[in-house]
Amino acid sequence: MDAQAVKMLAAAIAILAGAANALGEGMLCSKTVEGIARNPEAYKNLRTTMILGCALVETTGIYALLVSLLILFVG
Amino acid sequence: MDKIVGIFLSPIPNDEAIGALFSSLIVMVIMVILSIIISIMARRQDPLKKPKGLLLLAEIGVNYFDGQVEELMGRRFKGFGSIIMCIAVYIVLSFLIGLTGLPSPLTNLATPLSLGLVTFVLIHATAVRFNKWKYFKRYVDPFPFFLPINLLSMWSPLLSLSLRLFGNALAGWTLMSVVYYALESVSAAIFSMLAEGLNTIFIAPLITWILHAYFDLFSGVIQTLVFIILTMLFVANEAPDEDEMQEKLSI
Repeated sequence: MDAQAVKMLAAAIAILAGAANALGEGMLCSKTVEGIARNPEAYKNLRTTMILGCALVETTGIYALLVSLLILFVG
Repeated sequence: MDKIVGIFLSPIPNDEAIGALFSSLIVMVIMVILSIIISIMARRQDPLKKPKGLLLLAEIGVNYFDGQVEELMGRRFKGFGSIIMCIAVYIVLSFLIGLTGLPSPLTNLATPLSLGLVTFVLIHATAVRFNKWKYFKRYVDPFPFFLPINLLSMWSPLLSLSLRLFGNALAGWTLMSVVYYALESVSAAIFSMLAEGLNTIFIAPLITWILHAYFDLFSGVIQTLVFIILTMLFVANEAPDEDEMQEKLSI
């Protein structure tokens, strides 16, 4: 394999962190839906907290994207 | 594609880095003009009348950030509303400037890194202010053996805060550049009877506004909220509890 192919492979492996990220976000959403089903009055609070939590969970995915972009274009 | 990402990290000035510099200057000028106008309006305002227009907006903003600081940090940090509001307005404006087609200033690593440094310095200054000499105790926390680990983990708030902003802005900019590039080719293929340079502009405005709405407006506001909430929590975390202080004072 030449260097370019190895780079592509490394970027693909780096972005695999997105799978765990999606899993975490799905868990967050399902728990929020459960919470809303149990206590519909808290809907607004739960939604705000969920969006904030999503942004926090997304961070790992963004790191993975950043790393794979760096591998592809900078290194 | 090599142009899109590589430039934001290279120290050599180039077109895209100059674009980010230019837009950061524009954001600064907008903020300075806004604050001058608001201060003049606030001085001329009769305090017995209801504020209107821009002044009303500014008052709502100041109230919101002061309330947020008091809610999350406690009453001891009363003066922190201003710096939090300043950081928030800067981040929101620098995401919003992506709507004009300029690269956001946050796509250059220098900008988010300096925003993160502000928080980092605030955290440690607060820790020194409240703990005095006990501040150095944190580096040898359970025992001196942990010194290297503690020295490494000291940098994690700086890294996480700055890379979160940088990653968001850069991901949005890269994805939108790819989509613009693809839509230019599509448009050139469909309207191939038109003149060169004129036939590439038709499809993109119909589709990319959705991406702009997500990456510039929604993502920008959410990331701003996350940044200021994390800043407030990190800083407030360094001060001992309010009840403990009361107990110590009463004894």
